[in-house]
Amino acid sequence: MHILIVEDDEVARDYLAKALREVGHSVDVAGDGLKGLHMASSIAIDLAIVDRMLPKLDGLALVQSLRATGRKLPVLILSALGEVDDRITGLRAGGDDYLTKPYHMSELMARIDALARRGDSGNAETTAKLKLADLELDRMTRRVTRNGKKIELTAREFQLLEFMMRHSGQVVTRTMLLEGVWDYHFDPQTNVIDVHISRLRQAIDKDFDKPLLHTVRGAGYSLREDE
Amino acid sequence: MAAWRRRVLSADQRFLGLLDTSPFRIAIVYSMVFACGAALLLGVVDFAVSRIVDGSTDNLIEAEVQGLREQVLVLSRSDFIELIEQRSQDQDVRGAVYLMVDPQLRPVAGNVPAWPKMGANDDKWIQFKVSVPFGDETREHEMRAQRFKLPGGYRMLVGHDVQERQDVKNLMMRGLIAAVLLTLLLGLGGGFWMGRRILAQAGAISAVATQIMSGDLSQRLPVRNADDEINTLVREINSMLDKIEQLTLGMRTVLDSAAHDLRTPLNRLQATAEGAISGLAPGSPERKVIERVSTEVDQMRSTLDALLRIALAETGTVAREPVNLSELVASMVELYAPVSEERGIRLESSVAPGAEVQGSRQLLAQALANLLDNAIKFTPDGGRIRVVLRAHNGVPEVVVEDDGPGIPADKRELVLGRRVRLDEARKVPGSGLGLSLVAAVTKLHGARLILDDAAPGLRVSLKF
Repeated sequence: MHILIVEDDEVARDYLAKALREVGHSVDVAGDGLKGLHMASSIAIDLAIVDRMLPKLDGLALVQSLRATGRKLPVLILSALGEVDDRITGLRAGGDDYLTKPYHMSELMARIDALARRGDSGNAETTAKLKLADLELDRMTRRVTRNGKKIELTAREFQLLEFMMRHSGQVVTRTMLLEGVWDYHFDPQTNVIDVHISRLRQAIDKDFDKPLLHTVRGAGYSLREDE
Repeated sequence: MAAWRRRVLSADQRFLGLLDTSPFRIAIVYSMVFACGAALLLGVVDFAVSRIVDGSTDNLIEAEVQGLREQVLVLSRSDFIELIEQRSQDQDVRGAVYLMVDPQLRPVAGNVPAWPKMGANDDKWIQFKVSVPFGDETREHEMRAQRFKLPGGYRMLVGHDVQERQDVKNLMMRGLIAAVLLTLLLGLGGGFWMGRRILAQAGAISAVATQIMSGDLSQRLPVRNADDEINTLVREINSMLDKIEQLTLGMRTVLDSAAHDLRTPLNRLQATAEGAISGLAPGSPERKVIERVSTEVDQMRSTLDALLRIALAETGTVAREPVNLSELVASMVELYAPVSEERGIRLESSVAPGAEVQGSRQLLAQALANLLDNAIKFTPDGGRIRVVLRAHNGVPEVVVEDDGPGIPADKRELVLGRRVRLDEARKVPGSGLGLSLVAAVTKLHGARLILDDAAPGLRVSLKF
């Protein structure tokens, strides 16, 4: 994937570029908003990571200008601001996701993957049936089966599984789950998400040989068919 | 009291509201005072006029009585009768009345048709009515007279028509009543008019104040094209609002730059640490050190997040929207239910449907999360936590109750302050900002935060 990083903090930018290159992305960098906008509109880019506070052209203004020219590439906004409603303004300006500094590289990677996937499988949000190996989820009938056997889930477990299945094969972090399933944007002090996941795991993996729901150490969870 | 509740008044309430305005009450008091003044003035005039007119009539009658008493001694009966007839017919003496009767009270001479009926031991002065021709009709006229005895059992009555005086008095009385009523009416009308003006202005001001309190600091009170004291006050309040907006936006800017200046180096530190970790063998002492650094950054980040959220809530500049409190409380309970079950804690809840407040869903959620985190931290395994959302007259109240150690009454005020952790709490992890954030969020929503004894345990209540 070709990623553009628009960030004025050199240290953070270099580490980010290095980390992205290590996992196989090609990376372009820009140190200010104007250069970033110029590059985003002239080079073929799959995804942009834009810092919110940039010299010459503010990050939000950059995203707005980009959207005004009809560019639809996924944009992740990085912010060092106070938060709470800054996130809403960031998304309203045209950002697809919003991450507050300091962030873990694993969190950023997971979000980039999710954004990129959203780009190529745009119909995943609307298909009625989701399928992974022998696990099937029907959004219309709200029925979940594994190997043809019906699995009983609570409404929330169903939502959680649906979210995981839409992101199957990807790493999903705890904050992504809290945001995507509950629409909350805070760090709970207790391991609330882990307990929800372990219940879901009980429901879908317990009676079967091959586990589908995996814990990714230091990052989050992943629903995938393990080889 | 919820700061963002708007009152919608019906026509009846508006009318009652009008009666409650200060100009209306002042107008009522003033018109009462003026009405009393008018009544008093007319009373005095009436009294004075009566004194003068009555006095002169009475003197006239007294003099006539005196004259006749002397005449009766020197004149024969027939001459006296002739004298009475003469005086009765005299056109010069307008309004004078005479009557002479025999011992059987039959009229002998005079211009009054009959002896007025009255008791034996009456006063010297009597008053009676006589029909008097008035154009084609007759009119009852009020007479005032004195009686005296004549020799031979005859009796004499000498008096005067006082109807005119009575007419003047009646006229004055009617004028008085009309004046009092008019004063009252004008006062009421004026009061209504002024009251409506004030109500309209107060309504406009209150509507704007509601908007300002709900976070729209750019709003100003409406200034009208007049130079009265209310407008002066409105202008002063507006310049005060300018100042507040300036200060609040300044605060927000300071917060944003502080956030930026702290988050940026923390981010560098995190990136550097993570970059270093990837090159180190798992379990090596160097890696352990770097991992420790990364954990500390996480800790600093969550403290910074909490501090910034508290500060943001305290500036009151957080955007507000209608928040479905019932849904929020139910979903928070649902979010925390599994983690409390793991500890064998019963998380009971009773959530009234349809409760809504104006505010920030994220901050309210964070506050509730902090309360639930705390409750789970301090409730012993196998204990009980109760979450209640109820509404009193449309005013929602959220209660979180645990059966942990609780907070001693004298320390409840203290824990709401910044970074206070009681000794008992030092054994469990936490930043000590949890309840401060709850307090700031509560205040932002115009709600009241009450810490109480759940006997045993802590009861935290948020009254909106």
